[in-house]
Amino acid sequence: MSEGAPISAATFGRQIVNKFPGVECIPKEDGILECIVPADKIRDVVGMIDEEIHDAFPESVFGVDLQEDKYELIYIFWSRTNRTQYHLRVSLEGSNPEVETVCDIFPGMEWHERETHEMFGIGFKGHPDLRLLLLPEELEGKFPLRKSFVTNRARLEEADRTPAKPNATEGGASD
Amino acid sequence: MSPDILDETTEVWFGPQHVSAHGWAAKLTLVGDYVVECDPNAGYFHRSAEKCLEFRNFRQGSLIMERLCMLEAFLAEYPYIQAVEKIAELEVPERAKVMRTIMMEASRIHSLQFWWGQFSAELGLFAMLLWPWVDREFFLDTFEELSGSRHAVSYSTPGGVRYDFNDKVLRKLDIALERFEDRMPMMRDMLMGSPTFRARTEGIGQYTLKQGLKFGLSGPPIKACGLPMDLRKDAPDPNLAYDMIDWEVPVTESKEHPGESDAYDRMVQRFKEMETSVEIIRKLLPLVPEGPIIDSKARAKANRLPEGEAYGRVEGTRGISTLWLKTTDKAQTPYRAKIRGPCFNSYYSLKHLVPGAKFADFIVVFGSLDPYPGWWDR
Repeated sequence: MSEGAPISAATFGRQIVNKFPGVECIPKEDGILECIVPADKIRDVVGMIDEEIHDAFPESVFGVDLQEDKYELIYIFWSRTNRTQYHLRVSLEGSNPEVETVCDIFPGMEWHERETHEMFGIGFKGHPDLRLLLLPEELEGKFPLRKSFVTNRARLEEADRTPAKPNATEGGASD
Repeated sequence: MSPDILDETTEVWFGPQHVSAHGWAAKLTLVGDYVVECDPNAGYFHRSAEKCLEFRNFRQGSLIMERLCMLEAFLAEYPYIQAVEKIAELEVPERAKVMRTIMMEASRIHSLQFWWGQFSAELGLFAMLLWPWVDREFFLDTFEELSGSRHAVSYSTPGGVRYDFNDKVLRKLDIALERFEDRMPMMRDMLMGSPTFRARTEGIGQYTLKQGLKFGLSGPPIKACGLPMDLRKDAPDPNLAYDMIDWEVPVTESKEHPGESDAYDRMVQRFKEMETSVEIIRKLLPLVPEGPIIDSKARAKANRLPEGEAYGRVEGTRGISTLWLKTTDKAQTPYRAKIRGPCFNSYYSLKHLVPGAKFADFIVVFGSLDPYPGWWDR
């Protein structure tokens, strides 16, 4: 693997913007390059990271529920040579948002996308395997990390379980 | 005439009841003795840690984090602490920085001793299971003396640490280190020189550096390919003390297959990691300054955080562990916390690394990546 010269966050940001004008890149402190990427450009930008940065390391991709059917996807890559973290942010809308997969470019993202799909209901077009990863089958399609997912006692009734008895207010009695 | 076993495939579930499969299971498709397809299954330990974090305040969150990997508790809880400290802009006293770093490295040695014993047992070398585990007890004694708990230590807290060093802790740590330095080289040579061990590990689970990076592997599996990718050096944290001393990131470069690593190289690499950790602790111990162990205003400041986002990362025993934290203004709990465990990717990569290997080598590939179920199930 050939070691290239380090590319600074600002330079690489300009390269991305020149190539894909819809993308917005903001170099931040702590060696972070934040890119706001339109949903249809994500494969292009990730592909460019793969081509230009020889030691690109896929750290994570995850969803954030911004409520009212708005979601954000954050892709994080790390390059040791450039000492830069690349945070790609994609805004999505709708009850079943969808974006194209990048797991054929970085196989390490495959399970991260699979987890985001089961937890947030965000679809990944072209993903080879979107079965449940961590959740039990009865939670399929419930998307537990969405803010609308109820986690209180009401769920016990839904599951046909009796809620726990409230604590006795007075001592002494037993039934 | 008996049917040819190569004509049909057999499906075998490795786990979750298998003794080596402690809480995970992989579906293997075999042709004869060779694995042609590997489908790792996760979720047996899933406790929805990310959702739980949304209901815990900023001082409680690290307690959930350390339970994801009890073996490296000091390291596992740290990404959360780092993210909270970044958002709250907390100052950490010098003494706490050094003490944190020392205990994180002690935790790394202890975790690697556990892995080393377990990996040997997976290969059928049961003597090597118990010897490092006996030495490991001395580190656990240190943790117990320090925090009252052997595993769930809850040591770091936003703005400092919870427990101070005292003479007893330092003495116990010294005993543990001395015992380790005394016995490790002998055991290492015995294990690595063993023809059985070499035959079982050489050329098994081999991948190139580029492949490893694409699978998202980090830590010893990448350093064993010859790339010194280590957050302790590459992205030094101002609230830790790694930059106070001189030390080198250990790497392993194989002579037979440069730029690639197999199970044997990763074993070599992890022994080097342990030696480096001892070196770091030995160099930092005389540098522990006097002073407070926690910023007196930290408790109040971590009560309610301003609106913000922060990304905490630490070089764990098994690779890069991170936590992404988003807070809303004056909230007492995170809005979203995303945990990235290093083993999430190393467990996933079995899908690519195992096909082509013999069935008996599956556990060698698995063990050589040092996966811990808590990190992927969360």
